[in-house]
Amino acid sequence: MSEVVAMRRRTMPGSTTIALLAVFAVFVLLFLAGVGFGSTWIGLDTVTGVLLGGGDRTDRLVVLQLRLPRVLAAAIAGGAIAYAGYLLQRITRNELASPGVLGVVDGAALGVVLFLAIFSNESNALTVPVAWQPLAAALGAMTAIGLVFLLSGRQASSAIRLILFGIAIAAVAKALTTIFMLIGPIYQAAQAARWLAGAVNTINWSEVQIMLMVLVPVGIVAGIAARNLPPADLDDASSRSIGLNLPVYRIIMFLLAALLTAGAVAFAGGVGFVGLIAPHMARLLVGRGRMAGIVMSILLGAIILVGADLLIRVAFAPLEVPAGTVTAVIGAPYFLYLLMRKDNSNG
Amino acid sequence: MDDQMANRIEVKALSLSYGPEVVLDALSLPIPSGQITVLAGPNGCGKSTLLRAIRRLHAPQSGQVLLDAEDISKLNGKALGRRIGLLAQSPSAPQDMTVEELVRLGRYPHQAMMQPWGAGDDAAVAAAMVGTGVAEMRQRRIGSLSGGQLQRAWIAMVLAQETDVICLDEPVNHLDMAHQLDCLELVTRLNKEQGRTIVLVLHDLNLAARYADQLVFVADGKVRERGTPETMMRSDLIDEVFNVTAEIIIDPVHKRPICIPHRRS
Repeated sequence: MSEVVAMRRRTMPGSTTIALLAVFAVFVLLFLAGVGFGSTWIGLDTVTGVLLGGGDRTDRLVVLQLRLPRVLAAAIAGGAIAYAGYLLQRITRNELASPGVLGVVDGAALGVVLFLAIFSNESNALTVPVAWQPLAAALGAMTAIGLVFLLSGRQASSAIRLILFGIAIAAVAKALTTIFMLIGPIYQAAQAARWLAGAVNTINWSEVQIMLMVLVPVGIVAGIAARNLPPADLDDASSRSIGLNLPVYRIIMFLLAALLTAGAVAFAGGVGFVGLIAPHMARLLVGRGRMAGIVMSILLGAIILVGADLLIRVAFAPLEVPAGTVTAVIGAPYFLYLLMRKDNSNG
Repeated sequence: MDDQMANRIEVKALSLSYGPEVVLDALSLPIPSGQITVLAGPNGCGKSTLLRAIRRLHAPQSGQVLLDAEDISKLNGKALGRRIGLLAQSPSAPQDMTVEELVRLGRYPHQAMMQPWGAGDDAAVAAAMVGTGVAEMRQRRIGSLSGGQLQRAWIAMVLAQETDVICLDEPVNHLDMAHQLDCLELVTRLNKEQGRTIVLVLHDLNLAARYADQLVFVADGKVRERGTPETMMRSDLIDEVFNVTAEIIIDPVHKRPICIPHRRS
């Protein structure tokens, strides 16, 4: 770990660039494999051909209409949650923080379930445009993080306190979600249950579009706001004495992370642990550099979710196991490993 | 007017409480320009809070802090960060941050969206690292430093801010004697050679008396008395503020008064 070279100044040293390129190559391969694999195998050359505008009609239909939205959604959702996790780990100065641990994922999920319960009719159709779904997720996510923040009170700078309240809020949100699915007038309960566990298999192009419309602007704003992350690495008194309004900045970063999470969860469901693992691995691979850390987190998040989705289709077909289950199976032990490590805070 | 200009900072009737507990009680204190002011007092007397309030880390319930006759509550965070530097007690940074990365953070208040890192910033960082003797360990990680090295790295961060006023809260805590001297000699150099106004909180009264131009005894949230070490180091006053009976003698090396406490009164 100590040989990891930290990014210095504005230039990336060679090892960071190489790591980013290598991980990007893995992502591209996995993405193409994700599109190629299904009930019929479409070769990677054909997939590439279709993506570049070629291919015959059947291939184009399968690739562009059936497979691409699903893989793209997995990549976007994984990247967004990982990005949110990166921001949360930096701003809380604790590698155990993540959208899942802080209750944001379950808050967003509760928002969506409530939305589905309130706005669907007897014929399983939504009575309002699906574009409102991310808004419901965002409200749920922001309520969850807001509660965690308020309950932590004056000690909101203590990561452990935030995490404990986050776990409590997540449990409450999960319980409420279950109750609403049992008693609520929800006609899509079965579908909602699968969606909750994290499933990208039903996603279509318009949903991918909505995801992008929400996540791209939020991601850009978060990237600009992240310029102030380095002074926020210090303790409260030090960061404030060099002129960062840390209490306000912390709230802004929490809200941006909540929005990124909501944009992903709204359609991809409760994909747990991606936001925990990806930023942590990114830090091991590229060190403390901010832009490299963000890009690496996004790539790894996308890889994890696209990989999980692919694994499901390879290993469990024709059963559609939710991708969130796979990420949880990998993620939970990783979380335990982080918990058991002696030095689990960087403060 | 003359008097006003001679004081870089003027604390005026500052009151501050944490809930029901009154920490500063209408405290007033002038801090003369270009001098070393040392705040001393028993535990919990409010000296650290006063130092932090001077840098606006605490909002007072009433009263104000004037910096060059300007109310600091009217300045924005970065503007204040260019004029007052503060090293808090037991600061913390990520263990894998390098010394240079830490020192560079001192330039944060000088940066803006439209004003990226420039040659002036590099020069300030280099000067701060050379001045504190951490230049040769610039690539070391914070987690690998000894207590003395770490303290110097943090002081370098504050120096890189290039502020006229530097506040240090118990900078020699947890340092051995050699490093205590290093640290305070460095502070003295900054004061004598660069004319910076220094405010220190020191626990050790003898170190306080040796380095202070103005020594301030804080007790129960108020300034009990202030003056030169010669006028302040009296056994009756020390008895009253610190509750110890002490003998005062003149240190033969520095010709400053030192106290030898011999029992709790």
